[in-house]
Amino acid sequence: MRFLTFVTKNLLRRPFRSVLTMMGIALAVGAMVALVGISNGFVESFIQLYQGRGVDLVVVRAGVSERLTSALEESLGDKIRALPGVRDVAGIMTDVVSFPDLNLYGVPILGWKPGTFLLDNLKFVSGRPLTAQDGRVVMLGSVLAKNMGKQVGDKVDVFEDEPFEVVGIFESLNMVENGSMIVSLAELQRLIDRRGRVNLFNVVVTDRADEGAVDRVRQEIEALAPGMSAMTSESFVTSDMQIQAARAMTWITSIVALVIGSVGVLNTMVMSVFERTQEIGILRAIGWRKSRVMRMILVEAVLLSLAGALVGILGALAITTSLSRLPSFSIIIARGIAPAVIGQGILIALILGLIGGAYPAIYAALLQPTKAIRHE
Amino acid sequence: MNDASANGAILSTKGLTKNYPDGNVAALTDVNLSIPRGQYAAIVGPSGCGKSTLLNLLGALDEPTAGSVYFAGRSFAELGGMDQFRAQKLGFVFQSFYLLPILTARENVQIPMFEGTLSAAARAKRAAELLELVGMSHRAGHLPKQLSVGERQRVAIARALANNPELLLADEPTGNLDSKTAQEICGLFDQLHREQGMTIVLVTHDQNVANRAERIIAMRDGRVADDRLNKDGAR
Repeated sequence: MRFLTFVTKNLLRRPFRSVLTMMGIALAVGAMVALVGISNGFVESFIQLYQGRGVDLVVVRAGVSERLTSALEESLGDKIRALPGVRDVAGIMTDVVSFPDLNLYGVPILGWKPGTFLLDNLKFVSGRPLTAQDGRVVMLGSVLAKNMGKQVGDKVDVFEDEPFEVVGIFESLNMVENGSMIVSLAELQRLIDRRGRVNLFNVVVTDRADEGAVDRVRQEIEALAPGMSAMTSESFVTSDMQIQAARAMTWITSIVALVIGSVGVLNTMVMSVFERTQEIGILRAIGWRKSRVMRMILVEAVLLSLAGALVGILGALAITTSLSRLPSFSIIIARGIAPAVIGQGILIALILGLIGGAYPAIYAALLQPTKAIRHE
Repeated sequence: MNDASANGAILSTKGLTKNYPDGNVAALTDVNLSIPRGQYAAIVGPSGCGKSTLLNLLGALDEPTAGSVYFAGRSFAELGGMDQFRAQKLGFVFQSFYLLPILTARENVQIPMFEGTLSAAARAKRAAELLELVGMSHRAGHLPKQLSVGERQRVAIARALANNPELLLADEPTGNLDSKTAQEICGLFDQLHREQGMTIVLVTHDQNVANRAERIIAMRDGRVADDRLNKDGAR
């Protein structure tokens, strides 16, 4: 018989209690893995998008926490483009629209200039990109087109009585863009009555491998006009207020779940040790060292936690995969969870097991053999 | 090294005293004993006379208030790690067997071996040999609840022998057995003593059991009241 066999048998003597504790851990770790996985996937998707397009800097109105309300003069784009070390600039306007009859809410609508480098990374499933000659035309992300049931040539009422013709359906590196629609910058400025304004500029630096060069361009952009903030694309994504709030909520929810999970392990292991006081006394009497008794209890707790983590991670993968297939969630939830997040889940389960098992293990190890044997 | 060791004692005590925590009740007072290697000794006496307390102290399960216990001439204080000492040098047999209910007879016997260096395969082989020795090979795969009380005590004896101890300590090993089964268990102790030269110290309130030992130590009120060789014992 191996030590692990003995430990496993101890867990199986109360299968119902072990399974309940395991499920508690599964819920805690599953919630953490799913929430953090979704949150990280969302952020990663944006970072990949910017990196894929070669965007080095994003310029917004300084001090604006909500990016949709950032407003900059569109003409600043030309001044930025004229700076030494700048290869390209694209001004972007963003808003959100809803289609209640299709149960689609908060659909991003992006205003891009026809011919912008932003279009280079879009893969057209059907149709074509915007051209300078286009008026009321729209390109739909592949997920949005599917959710709306639209094809090239169909009409979309972007705003009331504003039918736009679908000229292209695209796939982007970013899941949010796949759930978005793109019209010309001028059309969106007209629709939301913000002519001559953009929310932000995407800037490509010539010598992008040189961090010093990127930083110099950043300083020169900020010196161009007061109230402009230029930041790296990664900083821009991670500093987004909504993303930060979502991440904070994710971790708060996860921590609450994990605390509940660890209390579950603690409760189970304390009960288990109390019930086995006499047996532990016997083990000590026949020569088991305190460290071996501690190891027995800790391994039991860790095994429970890891089994729970396994179930929780499988559940989280199943849930995120299922949600990513639903129209309402498909633009914000990526399919699958990063291996690093799964690793975090396993590590946290291990820590939960050790925390939950620590007190019972120490208590068991310190039992006096003669007193423990008399315990009924 | 104390005098007893020079005389070949495996276990000896000097001024062994144990008071209960309140300090007012003395469980043992100034007990001086010397158990030669290979001796089969029985400690007898009425309930509360201190015989189990003495056995706990001899087995390093408890600490004396005063005095010392020596194993092969070295005091327990000198020996250091008592857990390791118990695992390697002592075998315990209890009145209530105390087998782990979730483990089979074969697995119960292997429990003390975790403190040794044997591989899993070697542990299984050793357990099989010990069960054979106590006549329990045919019940090796059974759980304690599937065994009779006599069979449980046989398995417990096999467990006590797991790490090849130099000294077997038994606390009322027949206390929960009927007379016929008690005789069988006593026969097993006789056999271990006779065939393997095992040193056995056994606590009992049953004079019939004590009479099988080659030495009988009678306790009364925490003191050794009588200590004599039993010429009819250890047959």
